[in-house]
Amino acid sequence: MPPRGQPPPASGPGGPRPAVLLLAPLLLLALQGVAAAPAGAGGTEDSPGLQDAELQRGLLQQAARAALHFFNFRAGSPSALRVLAAVLEGRATVNPKKECQVDLVFTTDHYNREDGEERLGKCSARVFFRNQKPRPAVNVTCTRLIEKNKRQQEDYLLYTHMKQLKTPLDVVSIPDSHGHIDPSLRPIWDLAFLGSSYVMWEKTTQFLHYYMAQISSVNQWKTNDDAVDFDYTVLLHEFSTQEIIPCRIHLVWYPGKPLKVKYHCQELQTPEEASGTEEGSAVAPTELNNF
Amino acid sequence: MKPLLGTLYLLGILVPEGLGYDGSLAQPRREVVEETVNPWKSLDTYSYTKYHPMEEIYQWMIQISEKYTGVVTQHFLGMTYEIRPMYYLKISQPSNNPKKIIWMDCGIHAREWIAPAFCQWFVKEILQNYKDNPRIGRFLRNLDFYVLPVLNIDGYIYTWTTDRLWRKSRSSHNNGTCFGTDLNRNFNVAWCSIGASKDCHDLTFCGTGPASEPETKAVSSFVESKKESIVCFLTMHSYGQLILTPYGYTKNKSSNHEELIQVGQKAANALKKKHGTNFRVGSSADILYTTSGASRDWARDIGIPFSYTFELRDNGTYGFVLPAAQIQATCEETMEAVLSVLDDVYEKYWDSDGAGKVTPTAVVLGLLVSFMSVL
Repeated sequence: MPPRGQPPPASGPGGPRPAVLLLAPLLLLALQGVAAAPAGAGGTEDSPGLQDAELQRGLLQQAARAALHFFNFRAGSPSALRVLAAVLEGRATVNPKKECQVDLVFTTDHYNREDGEERLGKCSARVFFRNQKPRPAVNVTCTRLIEKNKRQQEDYLLYTHMKQLKTPLDVVSIPDSHGHIDPSLRPIWDLAFLGSSYVMWEKTTQFLHYYMAQISSVNQWKTNDDAVDFDYTVLLHEFSTQEIIPCRIHLVWYPGKPLKVKYHCQELQTPEEASGTEEGSAVAPTELNNF
Repeated sequence: MKPLLGTLYLLGILVPEGLGYDGSLAQPRREVVEETVNPWKSLDTYSYTKYHPMEEIYQWMIQISEKYTGVVTQHFLGMTYEIRPMYYLKISQPSNNPKKIIWMDCGIHAREWIAPAFCQWFVKEILQNYKDNPRIGRFLRNLDFYVLPVLNIDGYIYTWTTDRLWRKSRSSHNNGTCFGTDLNRNFNVAWCSIGASKDCHDLTFCGTGPASEPETKAVSSFVESKKESIVCFLTMHSYGQLILTPYGYTKNKSSNHEELIQVGQKAANALKKKHGTNFRVGSSADILYTTSGASRDWARDIGIPFSYTFELRDNGTYGFVLPAAQIQATCEETMEAVLSVLDDVYEKYWDSDGAGKVTPTAVVLGLLVSFMSVL
């Protein structure tokens, strides 16, 4: 790029000298600029304090995710699922065994947030990661996002819709490739997410976290003995490895009753396959009015 | 040239998908392709709020360059592994002054469908508005836009025909027992040193060597050849709602890190104003994870000053399978962010009247030249 203007050349016998004095510092500046420009592995090393802050922030996020999956599972309510809004505060401590305890406060959003609805629940949790072993220990309490009666009502409504679905279900995947979920199939997605929450809770570690990417098949959908008996394969997306992990999940759900889940995931990385069974938590979800 | 390219294109769609055994351990996820390809749509009825298969994107590129001749030209970049042509669109208003280049690529990861959707949206927005919108119009006075709507064409097609969640390219490895390289781990920058895998089964497989893949070679040799002119390298991904600066291969920061963060944050603010969506800004190693061989890092290290990865919507609710109903909002907000970056880049190098700005190096060189002429 041509410079806009060029200073007139120094003239006279005494000319060059003052120009040299002017030039030297400018040359130094230019050389510095040129040297810094193609920054390879150059640049300053982060101070240890800064790195710690990022590490902390990462652990708080992981803990919030684990806590929320566990909360969703334990609440057993497909109409009251929550997603993470923001981590407000927290502290993570790592012991010599590389186990990690995290105390934190975070806000949540309604999973099925309607337009305009800006309700944020608040949760406090203690999460214990056992150095990359599954099943982080979670203690979590959240403020109520939806009135208990309303929640039961919504659950029962979902349940009624599910009972009305014609079996066998004619679905290939939910959502389809274009992200579309037929409104009549929405309850299936919500219930699948509820079941997946159990699996995702168990598998979340300090480093691994999951999202439900797609229901790849519905193997069985029964509502004979009142409860919904749902056998499906879900594709979980693990973020740090970017892997897609198929998990076969079998759940039994009745509104208001604890969720029963069995699962088996196809692990590509480790030789052992992850599987688990939970007969639902006997502990009713604890909710506080004011937090 | 055109008839040859046409033949190559036909060859490309005749090459069968999934050559050999698919090495993935999961059940092959076959899906019925719901959309039927209608090759003779007119540009007037092209929907930018739907996802399009590759054949339609190829068609769209031709139609765009035909409708906007004089401003848009389609160029051949290279061939993919499965022998399909890679094209980019050059948007350039003819003029006498030398131009700087803005590079944008989408779809380096096959399953991130919202990214190619954005590239098409971006092109449409520039072309529909450069005449009447002074903000966009001024860019074209001194900038050329080079847009690669789909980088990983083989992978993208595979997500339409076979596996919606495929990520990598479709190169064959290990005697056909393994498919695909993570193209964003394949660039020649700290190659395979961290955050990538040497195992061809893994989704972050870095390839058999730096720039081993034809797609990587095509992009890097072209970008390298134009690096003196490229001021901005934008690579579009999903999901995560992030604006990432270099680096992924180290926690060290680039020399212009502060500036990149500032510009990035301004872009995130502009994005949020549109629909309230929150994007975080930071270096990849800080706020995402470590990676080596990423195109953004490679671009920065060959000297391109403004190099960003955009991770578009959402935050995990639908992830890669973002509902088409969200394409418009996502593209609108992302457009605001990109325009904000372009504003900053433009103002750094040119005044509002389009005249070149004096940079420190230019001053020194200017003085040097005048000093030399005195001797």
